Amino acid sequence: MNESGRAAGRPVAALVLPAVVLVLLMMVAPMVLLFRYSLNIFSPTELMIQALTARNYLSAVTDPYYLAVMATTIRMAVLCTLIALAAGFPAAYTLARMRGRWKAWLTLATVFPLMVGNVVRAAGWMTLLGNAGLLNAALKASGLFPDPVQLMYTPMAVALGIVTVVLPYMILTLASVIEGIPRGLEEAALNLGARPLTVFRRVVLPLALPGVVAGSALVFILCMNAYATPILLGGPQFTMMAPAVYDQFVKTTNWPFGAALAFILLAVTLALTLAGRALLQRRRHPA
Amino acid sequence: MTSLSLDGLRREYGATVAVDRVDLEMQQGELVALLGPSGCGKTTTLRMVAGFVAPTSGRVVIGGRDVTAAPPYARDTGMVFQGYALFPHMSVAENVGFGLEMRRVPRAERGARIAEALRLVRLEGLAERRPAQLSGGQQQRVALARALVVNPAVFLLDEPLSNLDARLRAEVRVEIRALQQRLGLTTLFVTHDQEEALTMADRLVVMQGGRVRQTGTPEEVYERPADLFVAGFIGSCNILRGVVEAPGAFRAGAMALPCAGGAPGERAALVVRPERIAIGPEGRLPGRIDLVTYLGGTTEWHVTTDAGALRVSQKTPDAADPRRLLRRGDGVMLDWRPEAGRLLSDSNEGEQA
Repeated sequence: MNESGRAAGRPVAALVLPAVVLVLLMMVAPMVLLFRYSLNIFSPTELMIQALTARNYLSAVTDPYYLAVMATTIRMAVLCTLIALAAGFPAAYTLARMRGRWKAWLTLATVFPLMVGNVVRAAGWMTLLGNAGLLNAALKASGLFPDPVQLMYTPMAVALGIVTVVLPYMILTLASVIEGIPRGLEEAALNLGARPLTVFRRVVLPLALPGVVAGSALVFILCMNAYATPILLGGPQFTMMAPAVYDQFVKTTNWPFGAALAFILLAVTLALTLAGRALLQRRRHPA
Repeated sequence: MTSLSLDGLRREYGATVAVDRVDLEMQQGELVALLGPSGCGKTTTLRMVAGFVAPTSGRVVIGGRDVTAAPPYARDTGMVFQGYALFPHMSVAENVGFGLEMRRVPRAERGARIAEALRLVRLEGLAERRPAQLSGGQQQRVALARALVVNPAVFLLDEPLSNLDARLRAEVRVEIRALQQRLGLTTLFVTHDQEEALTMADRLVVMQGGRVRQTGTPEEVYERPADLFVAGFIGSCNILRGVVEAPGAFRAGAMALPCAGGAPGERAALVVRPERIAIGPEGRLPGRIDLVTYLGGTTEWHVTTDAGALRVSQKTPDAADPRRLLRRGDGVMLDWRPEAGRLLSDSNEGEQA
């Protein structure tokens, strides 16, 4: 296979070239630039003074405000990932085990929410959850709650909004892995005396673990970087990291500090994703 | 004692009937083969016994207990799946031990029974391997061990040999049969391979179009096929169409041929196995040779007669035998004993098989 493999290697390399150039130009270059900015000093008059200092990072990690924002972000991301996993697994299983025409329609229905932008969707939630919104109107009409219940601008509203954004990613990732688990394995387990819940725990879940890892990582990263949903549904009192980074760049024009926050968010997201992955994979191969 | 009984089993899928009126009584230790072409309903029948398919009507009784409505995990069956369905994330020992674990067998006893099962299928020393590290034949034996370690009331095999190469298949066939007889396992076995069914089974259930065509020992089914489909599906046969002239005389074309019994005036098909036809200078039916096929131990002659084309198969004659010199175009005489000519009701179903 070596000869033909080597001969085939060259055109393949040529095929990935456009993507590599694009990534280098549009992703790596701005990030290198941003990282350089994060080492500069902010001045209210000159905006940015060239320097090589870690002071932005130090002040970010020692500032109780940003520590609290980071804690809120991580809590929200973990919560939303777990909810998406719990809600997505049964849906993904159903989708993966379906056949024929219904499957195509259901897959389309799963993807459909992705065709509506985050902002539009959040606006939809606002009309549902607002003090004069549909839900409160219904509660008032029922007579149980004469006064409006505060639903908007709560962590619950943000979690609801984020979960509906990320759920399709979780479902599709899980479904593609579950589809690869032969139905015969479940039948074999049933035949050997395992009840459906045991079949799930002992056969389906362990074999779907790569999908759980991939789906959770993908969704967790999306949650950590959520921007529109926390702003629109969380209100001014509820701050997550991505809006905080944006504020530094646009409102206070402190680019060095904003850049430092962005890299801290990146590092924390990466570290937690890798840690979660390692944790799940250790469960897969117990010592 | 009856281990398994199927009572008027029927399964519909929308407008199509996949299985219809299947009745079967299996005794303890018996091996029964469900045999038929693909789509005949044999696999659906097996899956109804295992509980993966709910019958539209009819009953499944295992060891005296009606399990028609019971889920698969509450039936005492051990199934070997066509693709083996070994758990890829578990070792061989974990695969074999899974059923014992589900039955809450204590760990110490489990270990002993796993070792015993692996010894039975000659896989000692491979207990810690993963299924992916085993050959096809070894995986097949793990699947056998996994199903039989729990001592199921009924052992179910779904085309267990179809994924093995020809040489291994013959070997495993003998092995499964020996194991089944030694352990006295009541076994229901699905196959489309008539040779497999004839060599392994105590009884055959020949199915076609969702119906049972014939149930009987391999000898009964081969010697006394119930209809043209069975005659054509089990082994090969010559079919001649004509009318019964008198008891023991069958008229096909210009010829009166020997047959067993029959009511005069009846339109019928005469079925004669190729190896029951004698070929030589003497006989009742003259013919001319179209083709001689030498197969080593046996030789086949294709002969055209006034009654129709016939295939004759005999042990290859000695070198001195004049039949060794028969060539295309030579005239010969054919004959058979009356009991070798079986009369069956004439339909065209046999030709489709």
